[in-house]
Amino acid sequence: MAKRDIPEINAGSMADIAFLLLIFFLVTTTMDRDKAYIRPIPKKVEITIPPEPIQKRDICKIVANSRNQLMLRENFVEDPDEISELILEWYRKNEDLSAAETAAASLNPQHPGFEFPFYNRFGMAEIDQNIERTTKEAEEIEEVEDADPALIEYYWAKVSEWEKKKKALKLYGKSELPEISPQAHIRIEVQIKTGYEYFAKIQSEIEEALFELRDEKAQELWGFGYGRIITTLGNEPTDAEFTQKKALLELLYPARIIEVTPKN
Amino acid sequence: MSKFKKGGKKEAPGVNTSSLPDIVFMLLFFFMVATTTKDADPSVEVTQPTGVRAEDMTPFKQRSEIDFLYIGVPRNKSRLEDFKFGYALFLDNVAQPSPGELYSVNTVRRWKLDKFEAKPDRMQQPLKEVITCVKADEKAPTGIIFDIRKELQEIEALKLAYAVKDNGNY
Repeated sequence: MAKRDIPEINAGSMADIAFLLLIFFLVTTTMDRDKAYIRPIPKKVEITIPPEPIQKRDICKIVANSRNQLMLRENFVEDPDEISELILEWYRKNEDLSAAETAAASLNPQHPGFEFPFYNRFGMAEIDQNIERTTKEAEEIEEVEDADPALIEYYWAKVSEWEKKKKALKLYGKSELPEISPQAHIRIEVQIKTGYEYFAKIQSEIEEALFELRDEKAQELWGFGYGRIITTLGNEPTDAEFTQKKALLELLYPARIIEVTPKN
Repeated sequence: MSKFKKGGKKEAPGVNTSSLPDIVFMLLFFFMVATTTKDADPSVEVTQPTGVRAEDMTPFKQRSEIDFLYIGVPRNKSRLEDFKFGYALFLDNVAQPSPGELYSVNTVRRWKLDKFEAKPDRMQQPLKEVITCVKADEKAPTGIIFDIRKELQEIEALKLAYAVKDNGNY
């Protein structure tokens, strides 16, 4: 018997099926990705101790009122795009002063950086001392009977903060780790009727300034940008090397942002 | 005697369409990879403000560690005056609350907790870690956002994200 040809399957409607699937995906999906600024909300605490007074130089206050006018550190801002420049100035003004210069400037109201936050510098020896001291304090608290667990946690957090600084300094590779005044923060004050547009613009400008600061530092230290660190961590969140690099940059230029709940 | 035959009417040969499915599949795969699923069509109109250097929320979406909340002008204008400032909230994945409740931030608390309970155990991040992403209209009063923030603080859902339109990339 002669070999019979197996009849081919008619694939003519394959295109129709594929089109159907394609159209389904076109309808149910969207191209634009959701982008947002993540901001932690502070935990609710009942204040028992009055907070320490904060020096004016440590506050970078940005105000937007209900008529959508912007003010940064008591000066009107005509063009919202300028905000990032002003934040950069606030961070950088005293960054390069040495310890002695900082001490002199903090007493001299004529110094151009007098109204800007000062930097503390820590050497390795000092960091080690602080680790030792804070560990001892934390252990003492743990010994106390019925100590508040929140308090113990608070003391251990201090220890790990210093340990982070130690790691950061090792990676930084210089003799001293500059750190902006621990009180320094950016403060956003809005009113109830301030448009979200302006609030988002302020957040965007802060993020832009921080990116620029960190990017420049990354270029200087390792020869590539902060963007590369972010992208790498986006693809590989557990990459140890880049996690540490990011931690160092965040320690040098912390994003301390306080959003004040509007009252009127 | 010509060398060129002119005999008979010839039909134009049909275009070979056997590679059409391949082309369409290629398109299909492109769209599958390049897009993300749409969330619910909100019943409020939101025009997002623009911003730069915003973080991509896609990874959080994939792990369903994010809840979206919209603040905008309700599409159904008939009850506009019922809402404070003329803006309404829209919470994803819930049936629309009755208009009287629409701008009541208490709903936010209930919605957030309900969504949290509804998740299977293996996906459960502590509530503190689940991001609440606010997509607000550019003209929306910021006061509403702070009301929501206060509610979230009460239930200790301590991560908030402010959505913007950002076409740039790192």
